[in-house]
Amino acid sequence: MSFISIKGVSYSYDKGREVFSGLDLEIARSGMTAIMGPNGSGKTTLTKLILGILRPDSGRIFLDGDDIGDMSLGQIGCLLGYLFQNPELQIFANSVFEDLSFVLKLKGLTDDVIGQRIDSILSRFNLDEYRDSSPFNLSFGEKQRLAIAGILVNEPSYLILDEPTTGLDFKRKDELGQVLKELMDEGKGITVITHDREFVDDFDAEIVLLSKEGRICRDQK
Amino acid sequence: MIPISIKDLHFSYEDKKILRGIEFELEKGKISSVIGLSGCGKSTLCYCICGIIPHIIEGDLSGTVKVFGKDVSDARIAELSEKIGIVFQNPDTQLFSPTVEDEVAFGPENLCVPRQEISSRIEESLRIVGMSDFRKRHPHNLSGGEKQLIAIASVLAIKPKILLFDESLSQIDDEGSERIKEVMLDLKKMGKSILTVEHDLKNLDISDEVLLLDSGKLKVLDKNKIRKEDVFYKH
Amino acid sequence: MQGSKIDVRTKLAIVLCLSSAGVFLQHVYILIALMVLTIILALAFKADLRKAMRSTKRLWYILIAIVILQSIFIRSDDAIFAIKGFEILTVTGLIKGAEFFLRVSIVIFSATIVATSNYRQIIQGLVQLKVPYDIAFMVSIAIRFLPLLKDEISQTLVAIQLRGLDLKKIKISQRLKVYYYIFTPVVAGVLKKAHELSMAMETRAYRAYQERTSYLILKIKAIDYLIIIAALLITTALFIMFYVFKFPGRLI
Repeated sequence: MSFISIKGVSYSYDKGREVFSGLDLEIARSGMTAIMGPNGSGKTTLTKLILGILRPDSGRIFLDGDDIGDMSLGQIGCLLGYLFQNPELQIFANSVFEDLSFVLKLKGLTDDVIGQRIDSILSRFNLDEYRDSSPFNLSFGEKQRLAIAGILVNEPSYLILDEPTTGLDFKRKDELGQVLKELMDEGKGITVITHDREFVDDFDAEIVLLSKEGRICRDQK
Repeated sequence: MIPISIKDLHFSYEDKKILRGIEFELEKGKISSVIGLSGCGKSTLCYCICGIIPHIIEGDLSGTVKVFGKDVSDARIAELSEKIGIVFQNPDTQLFSPTVEDEVAFGPENLCVPRQEISSRIEESLRIVGMSDFRKRHPHNLSGGEKQLIAIASVLAIKPKILLFDESLSQIDDEGSERIKEVMLDLKKMGKSILTVEHDLKNLDISDEVLLLDSGKLKVLDKNKIRKEDVFYKH
Repeated sequence: MQGSKIDVRTKLAIVLCLSSAGVFLQHVYILIALMVLTIILALAFKADLRKAMRSTKRLWYILIAIVILQSIFIRSDDAIFAIKGFEILTVTGLIKGAEFFLRVSIVIFSATIVATSNYRQIIQGLVQLKVPYDIAFMVSIAIRFLPLLKDEISQTLVAIQLRGLDLKKIKISQRLKVYYYIFTPVVAGVLKKAHELSMAMETRAYRAYQERTSYLILKIKAIDYLIIIAALLITTALFIMFYVFKFPGRLI
């Protein structure tokens, strides 16, 4: 069964340009899907529709079988994790630990429970040594890891990453690839929006190609 | 006069040693490229050359950096800007004017260039980067690649003889990158000396010389035999 | 009248006249007339009125508060609504509230007239009026980056909600903390941009010398002089009529 199900979705910008018309798309719940396409083909808009940031003019979108039209962003965030192209937009506090734990704290969990969960995520992403440091002193690759860690605190079963390899050198790309492979081994599904064909080829990914008119050509590898 | 001459350059920032004895010379009319992993100090090297270090960013600097024979620490950034132009990585934070024309005029205006000449410099710079039709447009609506071309034009309007490109292609798509690389080749033909800092090996096709920055030192590589495994994974 | 053909300084003069008239002429009939005049002028300049209208919508709440406060604290015998002799809503209060609303609206709507020039022209207008270039430039940078800032704030709000934080269900005691969490990335982003911007500016010789030339020069034309003089004369006439001849006098 697919995790993300887009049925008959149409969307136009305020200024009238129609981006999608009656779009149908199914994204599998495991493995990697890559959404690719030239600038202006609507990749970002599609992502925003899936996340519920934009509401489609017509049609419906389902996550794990539920219509997102009824869900709040907070609820969607528990099903779907989203990594922004700029990870700095997802760094919310002045210590790595606090950045990962603040939502749990606000929800009222005890420090013990929080401590356990966060510490295990920290060691999983090799961020232990930075536990109490400021996230703003981390390198770009480390900030990205932190942002991914932050998303995983909610234990979503699916992740969407927006252009995660832009600006990364080979070593960091490899490391990111490792992280993603591990997540997929755990059963999480991943969608990447990217230009980077090389990165995607390593994963046996299902490729969804968007054309400038917002139509899809699928290319199964 | 050698455009850039660096001898025994050391730089530390907050107790971290970044550059540990850089020796480098940039020849006139050549494109040299420095590659290396993120965080190895490539941008730091650029900043030391154009004067951002030590004039804007402070740290522990020793050694000499000379631009056309003059020591960078002795010159003000404004003076240096007439000799070295630098194009940064992020197209959005280099452009701040409402039209392309205003943006390209900014540099010469600061240097008190007379209005007639500013006009011809704007024309010339936009022609070199192939953006003459965009003169009255808002930079805000351009693509990343086009924005970088305007940033380059804005730097060219000051007529520097040396150009630094600090990872200028890393946020640009392939099409945009190819256009920018063509401009770099045109600039080389015009006699400008160019230093690019890169982490993507496929942008090295226009380089005359490639150097690896590793552990704070520069090492010349054979530009025909660069493989990422050799360069980035030996330890 | 095309917005771009009239000099920025003329527009500034118009806005100044309208705003000062709006603030100092304290009669609701005059204010209504000024408001109408402002809207007509804004339309003539093809200003973007929608944004101004959205800003004034938020004033409604303050308006109601002022109406009630004025009704309570100013003694008058024209109560519309009172509880056991305690006046809650009076005609005086209504009029005072209307005056406040109109005053602020006039300022907001007239500002849209200046906004019909692009901000490079605005800086140049200010500079040619002898405002120091640095100050004018800082203002223009703020204008330039405000929309980007808005974008980043909305992206951060999305990001924080996707982390599972439901912004509608936050306890009042936690509100301050949540603002801190939202502002941390925004402030960090602003600082980073400011740093990158200043490097770009300095390496293009910003403040190389005490002075700079300007490629763009604004020239005042005959029509500008005409409009400025007309605006000044009309405004002065209004002031004289109100303060010297006490017309239309006090309504309350």
